[in-house]
Amino acid sequence: MRRENRVLLLVAVPLLSLGAGPKESCPLGGSAIESPQKQQTAIYRALSANAELVSNATATRHRGVRAPAAPVAPQIPQINFIDTHVFAKMARDGVLPTSLSSDEQFLRRVTLDLTGVIPDSATVTAFVADKGTDKRSRKIDELLASDAFVDRWTMWLGDLVQNVSAATNVRLYYQGRNAYHAYLKDAIRSGKPYDQIVRELLSAKGDSWAVGAANYVTRQIQNNGPPQDTYDNLASHSGEKFLAMPLVCLSCHDGFRHLEQVNSGLASKKRSEFWGMAAFFAKTQTRVINNADPNNPNARKYDVIDNPAGTYRLNTTSGNKSPRAPVTGQSSIVSAAYMFNSEAPRSGELARDAYGRILTADRQFARATVNYLWKEMFGLGIVEPVNAFDLARLLPSTLPAGSTIQPTHPELLEEMTTTFIAGGYNLKSMLRTMANSSSYQLSAQYTTGGWNEAWVPYFARRYPKRMQAEAVLDSVVKATGVGITMPVLGLGNITRAMALPDSVEPIRRAEGNFLNQFGRGDRDDIVRSSESSITQALSVMNDSIVTTRIRKATPNSTMSRILASTQDPGAITDQIYLATLSRSPTASERQQGIDFLRGGVLNQRSEDLQWVLLNSLEFLFY
Amino acid sequence: MAKKQPLRKVDCLTCDEGGGFPVRGDGFSRRNFLRYAGTGLVASYFADVLNPNLLYGATSAAGVVASLHNTAKNCIFIFLAGAPSHADLWDLKEGSWTPSDFAPASYANGTIRFPRGLMPKTAEQIDKISFIRSGLAWAAVHPLAQQWTQISRSPTGATGAIAPHIGAVVAIESQLKRTPADVLPAFIALNSGGIPTSGYLPARYAPFGVTTAATGLSFLDHPEGAARFSTRWNQLHSVDTNRTTGGLGKKSTDMNDLYDQAKGLMDDPGVDALFSFNAADRMRYGSSTFGDGLLVAKQLVGGRKGARFVQVTSGGWDHHSDIYDKAVPNSLYGKCAEFDPAYAALLADLSTTPGATPGKTLLDETLVVVLGEFGRTVGQLSGQGGRDHFLRFSAMMAGGGVKGSRVIGKTDSLGDKVVEHGWSENRDVRPEDITCTIYSALGVDYTIMRTDDPLGRGFEYVPYAKDGGYKPIEELF
Repeated sequence: MRRENRVLLLVAVPLLSLGAGPKESCPLGGSAIESPQKQQTAIYRALSANAELVSNATATRHRGVRAPAAPVAPQIPQINFIDTHVFAKMARDGVLPTSLSSDEQFLRRVTLDLTGVIPDSATVTAFVADKGTDKRSRKIDELLASDAFVDRWTMWLGDLVQNVSAATNVRLYYQGRNAYHAYLKDAIRSGKPYDQIVRELLSAKGDSWAVGAANYVTRQIQNNGPPQDTYDNLASHSGEKFLAMPLVCLSCHDGFRHLEQVNSGLASKKRSEFWGMAAFFAKTQTRVINNADPNNPNARKYDVIDNPAGTYRLNTTSGNKSPRAPVTGQSSIVSAAYMFNSEAPRSGELARDAYGRILTADRQFARATVNYLWKEMFGLGIVEPVNAFDLARLLPSTLPAGSTIQPTHPELLEEMTTTFIAGGYNLKSMLRTMANSSSYQLSAQYTTGGWNEAWVPYFARRYPKRMQAEAVLDSVVKATGVGITMPVLGLGNITRAMALPDSVEPIRRAEGNFLNQFGRGDRDDIVRSSESSITQALSVMNDSIVTTRIRKATPNSTMSRILASTQDPGAITDQIYLATLSRSPTASERQQGIDFLRGGVLNQRSEDLQWVLLNSLEFLFY
Repeated sequence: MAKKQPLRKVDCLTCDEGGGFPVRGDGFSRRNFLRYAGTGLVASYFADVLNPNLLYGATSAAGVVASLHNTAKNCIFIFLAGAPSHADLWDLKEGSWTPSDFAPASYANGTIRFPRGLMPKTAEQIDKISFIRSGLAWAAVHPLAQQWTQISRSPTGATGAIAPHIGAVVAIESQLKRTPADVLPAFIALNSGGIPTSGYLPARYAPFGVTTAATGLSFLDHPEGAARFSTRWNQLHSVDTNRTTGGLGKKSTDMNDLYDQAKGLMDDPGVDALFSFNAADRMRYGSSTFGDGLLVAKQLVGGRKGARFVQVTSGGWDHHSDIYDKAVPNSLYGKCAEFDPAYAALLADLSTTPGATPGKTLLDETLVVVLGEFGRTVGQLSGQGGRDHFLRFSAMMAGGGVKGSRVIGKTDSLGDKVVEHGWSENRDVRPEDITCTIYSALGVDYTIMRTDDPLGRGFEYVPYAKDGGYKPIEELF
């Protein structure tokens, strides 16, 4: 780490507010700092020189703008290889990065990204007061070691493998869901290498209510079709989630004349090759165990076993896939073969163990994973959509003529992939590297002149994203100080949304409804979404989950605590900003707050001010 | 504009009939797709909601002149997810498998056979309904075909990932005609979780998703009272100056826009009544969640507060097994018992409610569409007593300028192959043609290609429609 260099360099950067000094602007934009006119002319030139970056729509929007914005190239310390690639690409294309984020902005961001909740007031105050030059690195390490980190990334992993008690194709029941959740949580907590996690999921055997990992296989059971449908599900699910490629297309037809527009790398693949993937699972059986729960006569669990005699046969005409039949000269029994390198199980090796071994050794497995992590941290994948990698368009050196490269930063993606593999598929370590980079720590405010939307994929600034559903609820709870309890079958009362075992609980309760409004998906046919909606606005404005927690009269509320300690409008404003937006108000915001509090009954106006900040875009978007 | 080229078909290698995607010239070529896809997808999510170009970027290509009937103000889009068995319902084929209590009867001078036993109330409204029987879906996989039906293109095609729901297109096309009284979002989706949204269009045009309840919408009232709310709202807008500047990007300006819409709903005292309902009405619509949806849909289009496209979704039509087993709650009997009273009450109510234009009924001004994502296998039931996925499908349309008792297309004795296509294009009716028909009735130019799409390739409301690839079904009007 060259962390000490940063501070030296930062001194040379104008417009930057780092440390505890008074803030002259909202760190997320808004009241932008005025820039010298001469700088504005220069960015105008820079913009013109890079006209190809500017879409027609953007150009239209800029036309007639009186004063084009002003460029200053902030000197950003390059902390690690991520920065080397990100800033080199910007330099090459004439895009200027913004300055680094303030301490407050960084703290809120990294706490939300790594642990899924805002920091509390005391943490913000202590972090700002910390004079250590390595305090950001230390904070990252502290967050990575926290319980909240475990919950947030267990939620991520649970989303990936779609752990839920009842899905369209199969029910795991709450017992299976909880066992699975416990396995995933333990894997994250213990820092289990990601490749090992995936191999364990693919290989697990036993009682699905006792062996959590066995639910990877049971989750893919297709009850309304022949067993080949289940084998296909396992191959297409593992392909989509672990390799980030839409193999499901090939489960019904060849890529030829279907996938040219979708995925040129898969366009040459055949359905028969997909069957070779699915055949790895043909020796896996799921034996139904009825009457498993004395309280629920319908509940059933599964015993996942290996049946050496199992084969993948091309003999189906019903179910969820088009008929399976051998083409002329082909055997009606499919041999297991990994479609990207034809590798087969070794002698004596269980087929699905072999699948886990081969899949996790595939470089694409690591590449897909670092891209997922990047998206979680940066809000936008290097390859988008993150589950649609096109292997034919990954590298400039092997790019077919006339094609465009898929990753925005191919060399960075490859170096991260190599690093992830070399580091033993350590999720935490990869996240640490990302969080420590200056690229991650850039301001969300574009201080280097006029902003161009075409620069988003350059990561020229932090592009704010909406908190995920669980983070919204947990952050409301943290900001207001009023706890929450959500009963979940088999787990008792859960006190943080991020600690819920799936994205459906608590079912038919106000908290569950609130979370649903924020697009958490259902781990079945509704994907997680960061889309906004009218209902979200209505929820934050009017749902008693929010409004009751703001009240002074509510026991333990932030408002009762603040108003018990002071009646000074300035101090109250400071504390409400700190608790809600994790920062101090700017001078003008502070005065505005004082005026507002003095304009009515102090207690009421204080509650009103927290409502205002909870409904501000800066609360939801970070 | 290149010289118009003849439509050619690319055969689908695995689908058992039909035959592929229409391809014209090199417009769909891989080279072009790759050129755009590599650069653009990212920006799609960051278009500026306040950019008026979003409303004015549309151009219609030369060559084909859209046939716009402009007979409907509203559309109620009833989506039967899971795919209903066309040959048991809208294109009834009687055989040894047909249960006697289907009680088929003839209507419209013998041109329509209908399972009166399954849907007695709908049978009474049959003079208002027209049937499309030469429908052919593109895919027999639920998620793919469901999205296809709702975004009117292949979800995995070039513009699939950025495509808005057809209701969002109706919404953006109605934007300039909105008045201050139009406080409802133009596109409302009732009991329809997980459907496509606004694609690359601003979130203002996304479906306003509502789970129906007798008590109406949640959270329309501020718990601390209107006066406190007013204080809070005003302060919010003086403190949070980022709301309209776009300083936080498209998603945040979208959110601000949605806050304004939410406020509009809160401020209008008439909104809650449109989403609420009483026990008597509920019973008339069959006392089911689906019935509640149609009841609210009727109230929304009748409320004249800006709702233009209302979707109601009903799941559970995926009858792979026990389709005729009355003991199974969600068999065809169960689903029809839910559908029949609701749909019949909707048509009856719309036809007896005055429209916005003097002399017209609400049904005259509201196109009611019923369809699933595909059909089901025909003839004898499968070994599991069910019917599996099948590309041939039927749809029903009523109102909004569509004449009743028309039948488009005729299938063979099983409901499989088409004997007569039944419309001037003389080919299968594709989901895209259904969309053209809806757009035409609503006065939306289906040949438009917008130029504001993030891929920079041009976004066609209905792909190939500007080249004549898809058309409204004129014979319905």
